[in-house]
Amino acid sequence: MTSVFSPPGFNFSNQSRNDFIAEKGIPMPKATSTGTTIVGCLFADGIVLGADTRATEGDIVADKNCEKIHYITESIRCCGAGTAADTEFTTALISSNMELHALSTGRKPRVVTAMTMLKQMLFRHHGNIGAALVLGGVDATGPHLFTVAPHGSTDKLPYVTMGSGSLAAMAVFESSWKPNMSRDDALQLVKDAISAGIFNDLGSGSNVDACIITASHTEMLRNVEMPNQRVEKERQYRFARGTTAWKSEEIRKLVVSEEVILLAGGDEMDTT
Amino acid sequence: MSIMDQNGGSVIAMVGKDCVAIASDLRLGNEALAVSSNFQKIFPITDRIYLGLPGLATDVTTLKERFRFRVNMYTIKEEREIEPETFAHLVSSTLYEHRFGPYYVEPVMAGISKTPSGGFKPFIAATDLIGCLNYAKDFVVAGTASSKLYGVAEGLWEPDLEPEDLFETISQTIMNALDRDAYSGWGCIVHVLTKDKVITRTLKARMD
Amino acid sequence: MDRIDYQQLRSGEVNLGTSIMAVQFKDGVVIGADSRTTTGSYIANRVTDKLTHIHDRVYCCRSGSAADTQAVADIVHYNLQIFSQTNGSPPPVHTAASLFQNICYANKDALSAGIIVAGWDKEVGPSVYNIPLGGGLFRQPWAIGGSGSTYVYGYCDATYQEGWGRDETVNFVKNTLALAMSRDGSSGGVIRMCVITEAGVERLFVPGNELPKFWQGTEVLSLPKEKAATLEPQVVPMAVE
Repeated sequence: MTSVFSPPGFNFSNQSRNDFIAEKGIPMPKATSTGTTIVGCLFADGIVLGADTRATEGDIVADKNCEKIHYITESIRCCGAGTAADTEFTTALISSNMELHALSTGRKPRVVTAMTMLKQMLFRHHGNIGAALVLGGVDATGPHLFTVAPHGSTDKLPYVTMGSGSLAAMAVFESSWKPNMSRDDALQLVKDAISAGIFNDLGSGSNVDACIITASHTEMLRNVEMPNQRVEKERQYRFARGTTAWKSEEIRKLVVSEEVILLAGGDEMDTT
Repeated sequence: MSIMDQNGGSVIAMVGKDCVAIASDLRLGNEALAVSSNFQKIFPITDRIYLGLPGLATDVTTLKERFRFRVNMYTIKEEREIEPETFAHLVSSTLYEHRFGPYYVEPVMAGISKTPSGGFKPFIAATDLIGCLNYAKDFVVAGTASSKLYGVAEGLWEPDLEPEDLFETISQTIMNALDRDAYSGWGCIVHVLTKDKVITRTLKARMD
Repeated sequence: MDRIDYQQLRSGEVNLGTSIMAVQFKDGVVIGADSRTTTGSYIANRVTDKLTHIHDRVYCCRSGSAADTQAVADIVHYNLQIFSQTNGSPPPVHTAASLFQNICYANKDALSAGIIVAGWDKEVGPSVYNIPLGGGLFRQPWAIGGSGSTYVYGYCDATYQEGWGRDETVNFVKNTLALAMSRDGSSGGVIRMCVITEAGVERLFVPGNELPKFWQGTEVLSLPKEKAATLEPQVVPMAVE
């Protein structure tokens, strides 16, 4: 590495080594994925987005309370499903570009702009960036709701679901969604849809996050519903100090104490 | 068998009351053959940040140096020490840069961060091999014994442990989990970070 | 899933397993499509609009990969906007179709896109161009495409006649698509149609419960009419062999 700065974009320097390992038949390790139920729903004056909060690594729950509703702009948000790192970095990149776009045009950016940036980026990578997104927001042209699939295709619908729990959540929407719902009804419907995913899909779990976006205001409701709180432990499982035997100990003090010892009489500073 | 299990090794970090602890085993193996019983996989980044790197040993060594370089560059440019939150993002973006040819490590970080009001706050985080950050309020684990560590830690961890109690909890967690993992073990090391000191202890552990 | 499985990702691609159609008539063209998009066996969108605006009087019907066809349509749309600005006049349908063909042919290994381009221009009037998978370009009086089209080639060959007016053409498209949708599992939902003439573009919509109905198969399995009249009305048992 000669330069301090890395060039933008992905680095493929480990590829040949990893291909060699893969050729020997050793499988690729698992990355964190958000098994996920994410939804979005149009109502009378805006959009409600919803997500569960479970992240999985194979059959292990890697994070019991992660955030899947990502910030794009103040009035545009994006739920992510699929490979967790991909949804995280893709939305962060588009959020950054949207801010620069807003600064250079002097206008509030539109939802279609974010949608186009996302689909063109995902299409360029041929589906290798495993991000399945629900994009929603309100702009000068009204409320908009999109899904963006990993290969870069988009759909515009009044109610959408994605992730492994999408079937459970869609069942709720298909039976109860109505046009021009009130804010409270829409929020309740989104809570129900996410709950359907949490309880019926193994890849989804823990809590419900929601985000209500209207023309004037965006409200992020982190953990609006917590139906899976752990009960308090009835006893303490603390070990008595000294339980663990150790062989060596080193204590590094971070507070440096300094004492100045005057050796000879010294001269006092002339302050006249 | 996954390439992540080639050399073995596990790391865990836990939050306590105004302190954090990070612990690892000391084994380096070549599949089932043990090679070293003093392979450090936890590295001090600053006085108040420790980084654990379980995974493929070649990548552990490479990344340790890479992070040292990037943290030094940060310190020189910013003329201040890096904060744990910032370092977590540095780790995350370094790994995601290699999204399509990853380093085979799952970093675990523990640190004490400074709050704007001059206080101190415990911080732990972990990422997967392509840099997806996982902040936790309780504990994070990684390595060949991760599934066992999850189970034991879920049962033993409790909030607001004092540094000495946290030491006992994390030590018992890792030692008991490691007893059931063939690829980790051969000694343990524990670091407990508080706002004014770092206590490092090597544990008396099974050597089989 | 114990590793990043790229085959799995590829099979998760969103597909327009489709029935699409375009027919030329004296004053313009009628284009139509079903509304189903699928990921595997799941219907990702049951009210899709596969009739995509390219320019004022040029539309395309998309089949194949949703991502590929949307990306190609976006590129052609962008190029035609530049075309009409630099030339000061709307582009001929053939120009649009050629742009589609260039992209589809140059990237034939990477794309799965079957596109029908149709519209009206002042040079040749109404025209329909078919651009199937390999990136060929064929002008046809009528064109059908997508997975559902294989079921209705015979119907189209037997039914189509020259010299139809607007209403007859709309009916032909509607009936063909209804037949294709009833036989093809990857097609379904509603029928969307557009009539593109010099005067403008008219959108038509047939809901899923008002699709044209054809022979449903009950008469043969029930009792002969004379006998049935003498009996109490009853449910016809399902034929089980």
